[in-house]
Amino acid sequence: MKLTKAQRLDLYRVMVRIRTFENGVRQLIAEGKIGHVSFSGGGEAVAAAVSAHLGPEDQIGSTHRPLGHLVAKGCSLKHMLAEIAGKATGTNRGKGGAYHIFCPEVGALGANGIVGGSVPMCAGYALANQLRANGKVAVSYFGEGASNQGGVQETLNMAACWKLPLVFVCENSSPVVQTMLGHEIDYPQLSIDDVSLRAPAYGMPGSSHSGWDVDEVYTVVGEAVKRARDGEGPTLLEFKVHRVEGEESEHCPIRCYREKLMKERVLTGKLDTEIRDQEAAAVKEAMDFAVGSPEPELVDAYRGIFAEGF
Amino acid sequence: MREITYAEAINEAQRFVMRENPEVILFGENVSSGWRAATKGLKEEFGRERVRDAPITETAFIGAGVGAAVVGLRPIVELMLVDFGLVAMDQILNQMAKTTYMTGGNVNVPMVLRAIYGAGGGNSATHSESLYGLYAHMPGMKVAVPATPYDAKGLLLTAIRDPNPVVFFEHRLLYSVRGPVPEEHYTVPFGVANLVREGQDVTVVAVGKMVQEVVKAADELKGKVSVEVLDPRTLVPLDEEAILRSLQKTGRLVVVDEDYERCGFSAEVVAVAAEKGFHSLKAPVARVANPNVPIPFNRGLERHVLPDAEKIVRAIRSIVK
Repeated sequence: MKLTKAQRLDLYRVMVRIRTFENGVRQLIAEGKIGHVSFSGGGEAVAAAVSAHLGPEDQIGSTHRPLGHLVAKGCSLKHMLAEIAGKATGTNRGKGGAYHIFCPEVGALGANGIVGGSVPMCAGYALANQLRANGKVAVSYFGEGASNQGGVQETLNMAACWKLPLVFVCENSSPVVQTMLGHEIDYPQLSIDDVSLRAPAYGMPGSSHSGWDVDEVYTVVGEAVKRARDGEGPTLLEFKVHRVEGEESEHCPIRCYREKLMKERVLTGKLDTEIRDQEAAAVKEAMDFAVGSPEPELVDAYRGIFAEGF
Repeated sequence: MREITYAEAINEAQRFVMRENPEVILFGENVSSGWRAATKGLKEEFGRERVRDAPITETAFIGAGVGAAVVGLRPIVELMLVDFGLVAMDQILNQMAKTTYMTGGNVNVPMVLRAIYGAGGGNSATHSESLYGLYAHMPGMKVAVPATPYDAKGLLLTAIRDPNPVVFFEHRLLYSVRGPVPEEHYTVPFGVANLVREGQDVTVVAVGKMVQEVVKAADELKGKVSVEVLDPRTLVPLDEEAILRSLQKTGRLVVVDEDYERCGFSAEVVAVAAEKGFHSLKAPVARVANPNVPIPFNRGLERHVLPDAEKIVRAIRSIVK
């Protein structure tokens, strides 16, 4: 799966967009305009490369660190940021917050506040694709902590039994020392080094990769997505990622790709500045939209508990 | 009218909608097998893709139901016993119930979770519960508890067309009960109580299998106490008006519930009476429910804690002097 120059620049742009968007969220938190959000920094390569293989009718299920996945899948920056600010113009009308953003129009179904909570639902998206024989696939994101959840293990098994068009993408954000919620832990939560070792136990292919090399992620995801589209069943992919904020780390996927693309003369300093300026402008527009949007009406609290009132 | 069993009525409702709508699918443990009366023959008619056996992993297959509903299918997911749903509380109470609200109506979850429930068979504490109170507690799900074959078919047809998650409770000991059921399509609306029997002296509210016990009690008291029997049929939505209307007439209330008494359906009905029907009440209310004990295995002990006609008669007599 050879990437064209334009495709590689698109991947780079999406990664920059994700980071810029999260930095915009950080800024609004610092200004006291929004509350807590869990960030996905360091996972940009995974999000960008996965979504590069998906169309708007392919589905993803995400986690409590969803912003990278959602940005890459094409959710509106403005309406997402408004949701994170709890505004009436948000993707979920201010009812869900960052942990529950759903953008069905682009197949982002959705963030989830429960660790591992979206994984069984992804089996449902994949089941619908299978029954409709529409060639669409679902991608289920989760972390190494969630990989231990019963629902995740159950879904791996069921997806293999039902041969679902589903790709499991585990972002292992404790690639060196095991941590939980970013903190050190006294007992390990995984007794194995690679989550993907579990794949053969469920009868599906699995492999582990560095999650900061977007070219590599793109290649292996492409194979798993193809396998799913061809009706051959699910795959478990694990990507090691380092949670980063800035671009100092050698494991920062944006820095890695920038240096690589510059070395290969795909990206110039001028083009990089242009991309960053454009993305910064889009994020600034989203921030202004979110901050300037109205609060929901209080009566909205009672609306929409059911799809039709009774 | 033709008579069929409660299980056949459930089977017929599913068969009807599956013929009508290819997006209706059914899955759960062993749903393809001939020994399951409520789903018997459906795999043969609709194929193993649409009528699908799931591994014994409630979290995975209930979650798959939620996901399939989110993208527009109409899944009917069977819980072999309602107790087994307790291993899948996240998918039921968080994902199935709350997704519509949390997404601001971006998506909805048109799913039916058919849950077989009920005590009286000597099946002990993890195979006998009712638990509809637990499900009714969480906002976002409708809860139906049919008492008769007629209601089973009519309520299930309503449930499958509802754009919301519905937990549909089927009492295991009602499966073989026969009753009149029209062959043609009909629906029983949610939130409309069934006035099973008119009476003047006391209103007795019950759902599911307990309706039978209340009718037995009313028969025993015939000529002495005139008992009005009211079956709300759905806990969510609850036909409060029918309860209050009946109370205005009788002034006395007994609630009978196979579920645990504490914080449950019986408490809810009593709260409606206290808040909105207080001035109708001529006597303290009475409840006959599971007295907050896990269902014991021993048949004598089980009978001892379950509501039955005799206990209902006693409760009625205690408030109708």
